Amino acid sequence: MTVTRPSERGGAVWVPVGPRDAAPPERERRRPAYGPWRALWRRYRRDQGAVVGLAVLATIAAIIIAAPLLAAYPPDVPLDIIALKSQPPSWLHPLGTDPVSRDVLSRVLYGGRVSLAIAVLAALTAATVGTLYGAIAGYAGGAVDAIMMRVTDACLSIPRVLLLLTVAALWGRLSIGGLVLVLGFTGWFGVSRIVRGEVLALRDREWAIAARALGAGATRTLLRHILPNVASPIIVAIALGIGNVILLEAGLSFFGVGVQPPQASWGTIMQDGADQVRALWWLTVFPGLAIVTTVMAVHAVADGLRRAADPRSGYGARP
Amino acid sequence: MTEPLLSIRDLRVTFATDGGVARAVDGVSLDLAAGEILGLVGESGCGKSVTAMSVLRLLRPPARIEPGSEIWLDGRDLLALPERAMRSIRGRRIAMVFQEPMTALNPVLTIGHQIAEVVRVHERASRGAARARAVAALEQVGVPDPDLRARQYPHQLSGGTRQRVLLAMALVLHPAVLIADEPTTALDVTVQAELLALLADLQRRLGMAVLLITHDLGVVAELASRVAVMYAGQLVEEAPVQELFARARHPYTQGLLEAAPRLAPRDGPHGSGGRHGGGAGRLRVIPGTVPPATAWPSGCRFHDRCSAAWDRCEREAPPSHAVDASHRARCHLAAEPERRAALPVALTGSVR
Repeated sequence: MTVTRPSERGGAVWVPVGPRDAAPPERERRRPAYGPWRALWRRYRRDQGAVVGLAVLATIAAIIIAAPLLAAYPPDVPLDIIALKSQPPSWLHPLGTDPVSRDVLSRVLYGGRVSLAIAVLAALTAATVGTLYGAIAGYAGGAVDAIMMRVTDACLSIPRVLLLLTVAALWGRLSIGGLVLVLGFTGWFGVSRIVRGEVLALRDREWAIAARALGAGATRTLLRHILPNVASPIIVAIALGIGNVILLEAGLSFFGVGVQPPQASWGTIMQDGADQVRALWWLTVFPGLAIVTTVMAVHAVADGLRRAADPRSGYGARP
Repeated sequence: MTEPLLSIRDLRVTFATDGGVARAVDGVSLDLAAGEILGLVGESGCGKSVTAMSVLRLLRPPARIEPGSEIWLDGRDLLALPERAMRSIRGRRIAMVFQEPMTALNPVLTIGHQIAEVVRVHERASRGAARARAVAALEQVGVPDPDLRARQYPHQLSGGTRQRVLLAMALVLHPAVLIADEPTTALDVTVQAELLALLADLQRRLGMAVLLITHDLGVVAELASRVAVMYAGQLVEEAPVQELFARARHPYTQGLLEAAPRLAPRDGPHGSGGRHGGGAGRLRVIPGTVPPATAWPSGCRFHDRCSAAWDRCEREAPPSHAVDASHRARCHLAAEPERRAALPVALTGSVR
């Protein structure tokens, strides 16, 4: 049973002792690295709705990235303020033109870049801040945790839209970067609560204690051992955050406190037709459709991720 | 015995609980010599694991190591070190192997990453170099296909392989002291035997001192050179392994020996432990359970479960008597040979 054999590897002069010749179980022998990401994808793939959502989202992303190739006109330049003012959809302008004679299709394409960029960056900002805040609270525990969580409770009890309008009003005209920060820093409370709960549950797991027992400090244990285990809820939170921010940005821009004209975003395009929704329906309907489609796809993806990552459905299950 | 490598002096650990202060470890002194395997045995709740965790200072509040406790290694009191210095000792000078191979590995990191991480915590090693050390460590503990294994995740490995991985993690930096907390309890017997052989082999090769925590006297008999028996937060008996199995002096130790199941019905492999075993009959058990650490009994902490106890045991806590140079027992009987001689053969109760 016990086989000794000189080591072929350099360095140590140890001789391995153990069942080297005993055949390991089949599942040990194969599957070089069936890691958490592959497990997640395997489970995600089974959910049709989530896969469709992902496909839709990928298509939207591709179209938006390719906007300069697809858009026939510059998005922010009036084409002909007299002849092409507020034209309904036509062959030359499939989504019509707006009151200052800009091509709506081009604006929707370019506006999507702005809307989605803001959404992604703001959601990432929120997730980063929320993760760090929640991780510190959960790992520290005790009084630190209690105080930190009361702060998020307080912030969560203020309606986000109200908070945003107040900040926007105080700030005046927001740049895109400013908008990302404002949206990001008002969106991390939920994430921090989730992460805090997970870290609190994970920090006393045996592997976390083992990491400390082998010399890892608190920061290292937290960042390199515990947080990787919280990846799935964070990713789900990012996905949901993107959906939320798309809606919030559109709303803020519609009310004139978000993206500032003449820059196109899905919200500002709608705002251009806001006073004549019936007459200029194409200014509301098309960016509206873009928003609804994107947000629905984002939610489908987030939902699929959540289900795929749910530990109760057997993480790492093999087919 | 030569100068000890690791020396625990009067270790006291308390837990503030709702039910009062639990004195989980209450004045334990232990010496571990270089290159020796010391078995620390006792029932659950005796304070074995808390002792181990204290050595690495891994306890969190509400646990508290009381002032006056000392743990010496390399001429320094570990309990007085700043956390930073303590970190450089964990994993490098003293390493620990945990009980549950299923839960002691991080599920989302590869095996190789987790072993390499230990190297990178302590040394300036490149990713590649740390990785190579990890693979070599896996090979050292007899994991087949170490290159492949290093790229796999814990759930892809069997329990025995996982325990080997934990051993590789603990040994990758050649620590002087290895604390093994019930390293084989979660494994089935054949795998257990392989791992114990591996542990003994590595201990010899690396010249480590091993503190082997277990409740399995069979494991102790196989590996340890000396045994310390813990009960209710105290050491009750300490002796070389042969001596302990042949001439256990504390009724608790005797009870533990009798409670160990043996395959050979009469003259068991562990010597005189079988003397009171009643042949192939029923397994003797120690009546009752370990009392809660918030309320240890007065006098001798074992008196309420001890069939040899008399009124003195209830009143007066026995000191640790030296039976001979290397054998100590915390029992009044050790100082009263006449009373000991008068005792009936069966010292402990049995299930009827």
